[in-house]
Amino acid sequence: MSLLFAGRKTAVTEHKVGIVQRFVMTVLNHFRQLLASLGELWRQPLASLMTIGVLGLSITLPSTLYLLVKNTEQVTAGWEQAGEISLYLKPNTSVAQAQQLRLAVSLFSEVEAAELVTADNALIEFEQASGLTNSLAYLDKNPLPHVILITPKASYVQPNAARTLVKKLERQTHVDFGKLDIEWLERLYATVSVARDVVWIVAILLCVSVVLIIGNTIRLNILSQREEIIIMKLVGATDNFIRFPFLYTGMWYGLLGGVLAWILIAFLLWWLQSGIANLANLYQTQFTLTGLDTTALGVILLLSIILGLLGSIISVQKHIKEIEPK
Amino acid sequence: MIKFDDVSKTYPGGQLALQKVNFHVAKGEMAFLTGHSGAGKSTILKLISLMERPSVGRVLINGHDLGQLSHKDIPYIRRDIGMIFQSHQLLMDRTVFDNVALPLVIEGYSRKQITKRVHAALDLVGLLSRAQNAPMALSGGQQQRVGIARAIVNRPPLLLADEPTGNLDPKLSMEIMRLFEALNQSGMSVFIATHDLGLIARMKYRNLTIKNGRLIEDGLQEDVLLNETNTKLPSDVHVDNDTPRYR
Ligand SMILES: Nc1ncnc2c1ncn2[C@@H]1O[C@H](COP(=O)(O)OP(=O)(O)O)[C@@H](O)[C@H]1O
Ligand SMILES: [Mg+2]
Repeated sequence: MSLLFAGRKTAVTEHKVGIVQRFVMTVLNHFRQLLASLGELWRQPLASLMTIGVLGLSITLPSTLYLLVKNTEQVTAGWEQAGEISLYLKPNTSVAQAQQLRLAVSLFSEVEAAELVTADNALIEFEQASGLTNSLAYLDKNPLPHVILITPKASYVQPNAARTLVKKLERQTHVDFGKLDIEWLERLYATVSVARDVVWIVAILLCVSVVLIIGNTIRLNILSQREEIIIMKLVGATDNFIRFPFLYTGMWYGLLGGVLAWILIAFLLWWLQSGIANLANLYQTQFTLTGLDTTALGVILLLSIILGLLGSIISVQKHIKEIEPK
Repeated sequence: MIKFDDVSKTYPGGQLALQKVNFHVAKGEMAFLTGHSGAGKSTILKLISLMERPSVGRVLINGHDLGQLSHKDIPYIRRDIGMIFQSHQLLMDRTVFDNVALPLVIEGYSRKQITKRVHAALDLVGLLSRAQNAPMALSGGQQQRVGIARAIVNRPPLLLADEPTGNLDPKLSMEIMRLFEALNQSGMSVFIATHDLGLIARMKYRNLTIKNGRLIEDGLQEDVLLNETNTKLPSDVHVDNDTPRYR
């Protein structure tokens, strides 16, 4: 519609097209612009390739770290075994009662072996290990309880089964509490979880830098087309009309960066795989690196497109408004 | 068509470019704006095309106060105004055809319409055979005519020209003036800023003279009648507002 001249023909009134047809035309137009933006990248192949290269590497790093963490988790899942159960007895349990209990639990079908460490022996062990000799001189009486060390049978080493076994053992008379020896595993888990947090932080930082890189590239594109933008504004282009090609360019940068990252990750995995296969062979085990499944690949590509769009939106919002014909 | 209502313009930095300017150019009129360099001609045209806003006063086009329109409306207003500049403002990396097509592409015309109208506009300025050339391959006068074709391709009711003959020799200048005349005869209001007094002295049109930002004279140039014009508009180039002519 013309704002100043009522009844002046415009493209819309002139075409007399229905809303559906206009929608189709709009979609076609955007598709054409999408392709045109790809052509724009091609006009400066070297500069575009360099930008895409930086983006690709920025996306590759966190993705690879993520894969390493995921693989570590998978490997350690196979290691999750309880080595030993320590059964602490109540303080006033006599040695004879303790020995009886040891014998009783050693006959359990779940138990491979059971060994009694009396309070006295434990104290001697403690003194030897710590170097504090004659420690009883400072204490009224031995504070340590008797402990029965239990090795579960192979089929009861999985954490759940082992925990059930601990419960069962705790129900015996004279037993104070039982303790599953999986601390080292928990420590490993804590480490992996820290690693996962680090991957997140690195990923977030690199995503921010992808947005900044694309934003800056689009800014340079806008500035280099300053004259063109001014002319378009002079003949009545809206900011939106000028904006879209730059948004599409940002999207292309993101998408192509994502594709490059995918190729790099596939290559890295292939490269690591042969080394890991050798290592696994030495331990006579089988291990295959988990790669990117379709979902992960989809997430990476989608994320890179979104980052590209975000970077270009920020840049376009700021700079297209600033360029005005004078 | 164009009404300046007590318009003053002070540029940022304090430069007073216009002082209490009042005038009215009617629909279908062709008028000149003359004055020395720095008098304020371009400022007047920039106020009409919304490249600048008045410091005081109102600018009205077809009765609409431009000050009442929002920033978002600017592109749509510019589509109603054809603008021609001394520097041709062409996209050098596109063909003549694509340059002229730009306003139509922006407005969202179909391919078919665009081709038809661009060819008509190029035919009018005598450059149909150069449609696929780059602007660089054309002479200064030809480039100026491409700019004119672009300004009229979407048939604006109002045509503004800022020193359209600034770089051209007298013969080419006269040709371009004839073109404006033909466009005006088809119903377009035409407003031309120039410091080339010799040029307009040969044409019998209204002339607004501006000096140091003040309108000092408003009247007809009388002396010399324009030679018979032989520029004719093709039948499918016409203007969409059917208001009565000035003369
Ligand atoms: N963007 C601007 N900023 C400051 N002063 C300006 C600007 N544009 C024009 N002027 C000043 O306003 C006055 C009128 O300029 P202009 O309208 O361009 O004159 P003309 O087109 O008649 O040569 C001049 O003194 C000029 O220096
Ligand atoms: Mg000027």
